[in-house]
Amino acid sequence: MNPRRKQRLMAVGGIVVVVAGAISLMLYALGQNIDLFYTPSEIVQGKSGQKPQIGQRLRIGGMVVEGSVRRDPDSLAVSFDLVDTGPIVTVSYQGILPDLFREGQGIVATGHLVGETQIEAQEVLAKHDEEYMPPEVAEAMKGIKHVKPSESSYN
Amino acid sequence: MKRIGLFLLPLALFLFVTLFLLQGLYSDPRERESSLLERQVPAFTLPDVMDETTQYNAQVFQGQVTLLNVWGTWCVTCAIELPFLTQLKEQGVRIVGLYYEQDLDPDFGGKSLPQIQQSIRDKLSQLGDPYEFNIFDVSRDYSIDLGVTGAPETFLIDREGRIRLHHVGDLNPRIWEQKFLPLYQELMGP
Amino acid sequence: MLAELGHFSLVLALFLSILMAGYPLWGATTGQSSLMASARPLAIGVFLFTAFSYFCLTQSFLDDDFSIAYVAHNSNSLLPWYYKITAVWGGHEGSFLLWVLIFTAWSAAVALFSRSIPLDMVARVLSVLSLVGIGFYLYVLIASNPFERLLPFYPVDGRDLNPLLQDFGMIIHPPMLYMGYVGFSVVFAFAIAALINGRLDSTWARWSRPWTLAAWVFLTLGIALGSWWAYNELGWGGWWFWDPVENASFMPWLVGTALLHSLAVTEKRKVFKSWTVLLAIAAFSLSLLGTFLVRSGILVSVHSFASDPTRGLFILGLLVVVIGGSLLLYALRAPALTSVGRYEVMSRETMLMGNNILLSAATLVVLLGTLLPLVHKELGLGSISIGAPFFNQMFTWLIVPFVALLSIGPLSRWKNQPLSALKNQLLFAFLLAFFTTVLLGFAKDKVDYTAMLGLGLSVWVLIATVQEVRQRIAGMSASQGVMAKLSALTPSHWGMVAGHLGFAMMLVGIAMVSGYSEERDLRMSPGDQVELAGYHITFVGVERLDGPNYEGHVAHLDVYEGERHIGDLAAEKRFYTVQRTVMTEASVDIGLTRDLYVALGEQLPDGDWAVRAYVKPFVRWIWAGALLMAIGGLLSMSDKRYRMARLVEAPVSGNQQEVAV
Repeated sequence: MNPRRKQRLMAVGGIVVVVAGAISLMLYALGQNIDLFYTPSEIVQGKSGQKPQIGQRLRIGGMVVEGSVRRDPDSLAVSFDLVDTGPIVTVSYQGILPDLFREGQGIVATGHLVGETQIEAQEVLAKHDEEYMPPEVAEAMKGIKHVKPSESSYN
Repeated sequence: MKRIGLFLLPLALFLFVTLFLLQGLYSDPRERESSLLERQVPAFTLPDVMDETTQYNAQVFQGQVTLLNVWGTWCVTCAIELPFLTQLKEQGVRIVGLYYEQDLDPDFGGKSLPQIQQSIRDKLSQLGDPYEFNIFDVSRDYSIDLGVTGAPETFLIDREGRIRLHHVGDLNPRIWEQKFLPLYQELMGP
Repeated sequence: MLAELGHFSLVLALFLSILMAGYPLWGATTGQSSLMASARPLAIGVFLFTAFSYFCLTQSFLDDDFSIAYVAHNSNSLLPWYYKITAVWGGHEGSFLLWVLIFTAWSAAVALFSRSIPLDMVARVLSVLSLVGIGFYLYVLIASNPFERLLPFYPVDGRDLNPLLQDFGMIIHPPMLYMGYVGFSVVFAFAIAALINGRLDSTWARWSRPWTLAAWVFLTLGIALGSWWAYNELGWGGWWFWDPVENASFMPWLVGTALLHSLAVTEKRKVFKSWTVLLAIAAFSLSLLGTFLVRSGILVSVHSFASDPTRGLFILGLLVVVIGGSLLLYALRAPALTSVGRYEVMSRETMLMGNNILLSAATLVVLLGTLLPLVHKELGLGSISIGAPFFNQMFTWLIVPFVALLSIGPLSRWKNQPLSALKNQLLFAFLLAFFTTVLLGFAKDKVDYTAMLGLGLSVWVLIATVQEVRQRIAGMSASQGVMAKLSALTPSHWGMVAGHLGFAMMLVGIAMVSGYSEERDLRMSPGDQVELAGYHITFVGVERLDGPNYEGHVAHLDVYEGERHIGDLAAEKRFYTVQRTVMTEASVDIGLTRDLYVALGEQLPDGDWAVRAYVKPFVRWIWAGALLMAIGGLLSMSDKRYRMARLVEAPVSGNQQEVAV
């Protein structure tokens, strides 16, 4: 093998190694940071047969049950219930709720599952204008009969 | 010539992405079919928005082909479709409003019912009044029963009180002709 | 009447575009210079008609003509006049008209400032631009007409401009961003024209460079403004969210940066030709893709405009024609391009190639992160979102080799750079950077290793840049003074220095903000005090607020650092009455080494207020760094090599004095 050919081969080999390494690093990082989207009923009943694990990062979307917003009197800790078609999950959050957060509205939260139906949120989003729900929530609620926020089984 | 394969790579990548973009365009969650299609209008008993003593129930959809239009005076897109709805009414289409109010919500300033009625009268006298009457969705429960995600939305209901079409967004001549008219004519029969 | 005039003017612009796409190209192919000469006046004509059309729309906003649907949707009689002007690009139709206007402005600029370029090349470039332009005119006229009337019934008042967009940053952010996006169309047209006639040489690279720089400068400023706007207006104190729309603007920037460097190599060394052309096509393609992603509403984001599949389909069709067509042309023509220059593994060429690979990798990371949720959903695997940590992690990994190349590259020579010759300089820079960082790091009471890494990398860039300037002036005759030597360096060399220092400055800001920000969400009532990062904040009280088109509350906070009074911060919560939207107006005390950021949250049931208080160290450096980078771009553009006056057609020599990148 002439030296030029050899050099080229080494260069190609090096590039392949680097690219393979980069791709696996990227996939690893991706795996750590993909947040699957769930609805309250998918948390309780599972999504395509799989229930989310406790401790898993996820996103949840649903409607805030009316009368369920409970605030800590001394801090900004707040918890509220989310509903879509029946099952209810509770979201707790520490911080300032978005401007558009209201009872009976659709919201999306990102956080960890800490109990069967308990989610600790790092972020709560209600970034939609008044005429539409967040499309993810609309999508999740597609074709299902909703439990009315005022009549849900929560008391 | 064998090097051309390498140079086609960007094109292939682009076309691959395009495929998903194309599919993504058509899976807009707002363009969705309500599960209520082909089913009876959910039951309700709700008052008229202008007169609380008049109560309506699902019987009002029996016997006539009806457009049920979800709206509110606070919603500007609704105002934009009002003139067209009025034209439809003049052509003989029966339109019933489902009035959906945010202002009764104390978080949003809290208007009283007479104030809202006044704003409805103002709006309708300005832009045309397409409605036979307006059902008042007091606690917004009925909108949820119908799967309404916002305003405006329009349902086409047949003589037997079944929901045949659900449109999210404003109703304009294009949507009327493409989406509603064929089914409407079929429902009206010969 | 004005609306009809504007509409008509736009139709005329379309017809002129069609002429411009045909005649000059035909002329260039058949060698008829009279046809080629028609390109310049046509380009200016198209621009003038589009500008008039745009003026008509603006005037309709100022006149509160709510019979025009677009005006009714995006303006209101209560809106202050300056927001009426900016509301023109507040919605879909108007922002597209602005896009087209800027597009024609770039074409007109090419027509005016291309005296040094042979006529047949100008004719081809303008024709290519025009071919792209036709598609966009058709789109505006058919699918997104901003002049559509709401007749016979129309609202008495409009719906108002989205309050998020009622901010100074928003006034200039979209035009800047569009200037950048669309600016890449010129480089794209140069690349396509060169592919068509098969003359891709260093002259082509030299013509393309100032245009790339111009577009890149605008894009840099546009992105920085967008980040500044988000910081001020979204009320979360973040400066970058990895939001799909931000990503859409970041991808062309990354590719544009790679292109700048790759063009330099192609100009000086006649290598990397096919790669450079691909980057030129990619920069514009990603700009178009960005436009599509934003406008089609395909990705859910803060910025998404109401979605309409027909419009999305139209733009997608345009993308397929423009991008697909050019990539096909590329696949057919690029294999014939041969690079003449030879270089060794250790050389400036390799360093720049490495920089290009890293920038492309970064682009792919952003592309993947932006599109994967869409792909995932379309494959039926459910909705996902990719969190900011993914991007942060990937960029942390990419930045280390990137900075290493950025520091070593400028020091090394073209063709061949033995590592041994650089060893001492590199070791010195590396060790100095390391110890400076350790000293700086331990001056803080808390150590954040990622932030220290960022800081160390910035110091390294700074030292390497100083070394590079020293090395360059060391080669000059000894009789000159230092100042004379410095001023003998070319503007384009200073441009590189400013660009790299700007990058270092930005890196300092990013590292410090991510590592040492102090933030607290508080529950406060009048009289409450809180201590944050050495600042003493007192919640004085809340007053009612009445604005022209909003009402709300303003909270006053008094801030002391020890005994020193820093200032009164007034954080607002506004309720826009027409749009019925609540907005948070944060109050920021700006400083060179830190920002004090206070935002008012909601009122809690018992009358307390939620308050968010941040101390953000060095956050200004992020935008200042971007500004410095943009200044670097401008300096490079001003280099006399790129003077727009007719130059003597001289081959670029390998003159060592001129090797600035």
